[in-house]
Amino acid sequence: MANAHASPVLKHHFEDLGQQHACERLGMWMFLATEILFFGGLFAAYTIYRMLYPHEFEIASSFMNRQIATVNTVFLITSSLTMTLAIRCAKLGDRAGLIRNLILTVALGTAFMVMKGFEYAHEFHENLAPGKMFRTEYEKATKAVAGLAPAAADEYFKADAAKPEHERAHAHWAAELALKNKASADEVVDSGKVQMFLCFYFVMTGIHGIHIVVGLGLILWLVYEAATGGIPPENYSTVEVVSLYWHLVDAIWLFLMPLLYLAGAGMHH
Amino acid sequence: MSDPHNTTPTADDPHGMRKDLDSTGLLLVVFVAVLGLALANVGISMKMGPTKYTLVVQLAIASVQAGLVAYYFMHLRHGDKVVILTALSSLFWMAILFVLFLADYMTRFWVVG
Repeated sequence: MANAHASPVLKHHFEDLGQQHACERLGMWMFLATEILFFGGLFAAYTIYRMLYPHEFEIASSFMNRQIATVNTVFLITSSLTMTLAIRCAKLGDRAGLIRNLILTVALGTAFMVMKGFEYAHEFHENLAPGKMFRTEYEKATKAVAGLAPAAADEYFKADAAKPEHERAHAHWAAELALKNKASADEVVDSGKVQMFLCFYFVMTGIHGIHIVVGLGLILWLVYEAATGGIPPENYSTVEVVSLYWHLVDAIWLFLMPLLYLAGAGMHH
Repeated sequence: MSDPHNTTPTADDPHGMRKDLDSTGLLLVVFVAVLGLALANVGISMKMGPTKYTLVVQLAIASVQAGLVAYYFMHLRHGDKVVILTALSSLFWMAILFVLFLADYMTRFWVVG
């Protein structure tokens, strides 16, 4: 039962390291169960609104930036690999490898957040955010083509889109939405429902982003611990429990990607 | 299934920490699989466009990815019974959440008579 060599890592209330590690894993998994339910509430709400407004959700999703999202997916999956390699290094007592893999994970997570920042900035620049920004931009585009025939409206937006970005009068999404609603009076895309999707988009990716930032903080703490000798092989489970959290945040992104970015993939613009 | 008490000390591993050590090759294979599925999801979605089945395909792929991450990266394959039970319990509670929510919203617009 007890190990032949006592370890300073073993806390006095545990029988042996195996029991201590099992308890640490279990504690983290219990926390993750609450996290899954926390995101589960958002996914359930999304499900209901997608069921109610399927067409608007697809159109709104088609305005999202799939290039950035795909690159970010690659970053997160790769960071999950480096995080798992960090556990392996910790178990083997390879301190340099441990620190290297942890820093790679931090770098990939930071790259994810930087890309996310560019993405948000672009969306705000285009007024693609629920509320007054959205309404003003959409009304401006609708008003601009109100008196024109559908073909002339199409030409107007094409000419506008051909200008350099800072000279354009309308955001791409607003032009498309205005055109769509002009062309088919019987199948109007409700701009309020489009904004509902945007609410989900910002809340879900925002909360996910906060989780990434928390994870980055934890991993930086691990780097400090590893550098100061706080993670000998028998303390590998400290790296493992942080990795469990990090993988969960990665796994949640794997669902956010199809729900938010791919719902309207392949629609023509 | 591993017994957390059953560690085998050796000279260079006095606390028996190298049990259940992941091989780098296996981790790389899982990584490539999850990454490949992610890119396949983007590709298939772009090709299919929004159809009745797109969401089903997308979520099926995402579920396989999440399963691989949970089983290999999150070490459920070495998990104790109680850890696996905790992980499954989260899915069980989530199922209750969805079933009760949808039982309401999917029947709300039914017209009697």
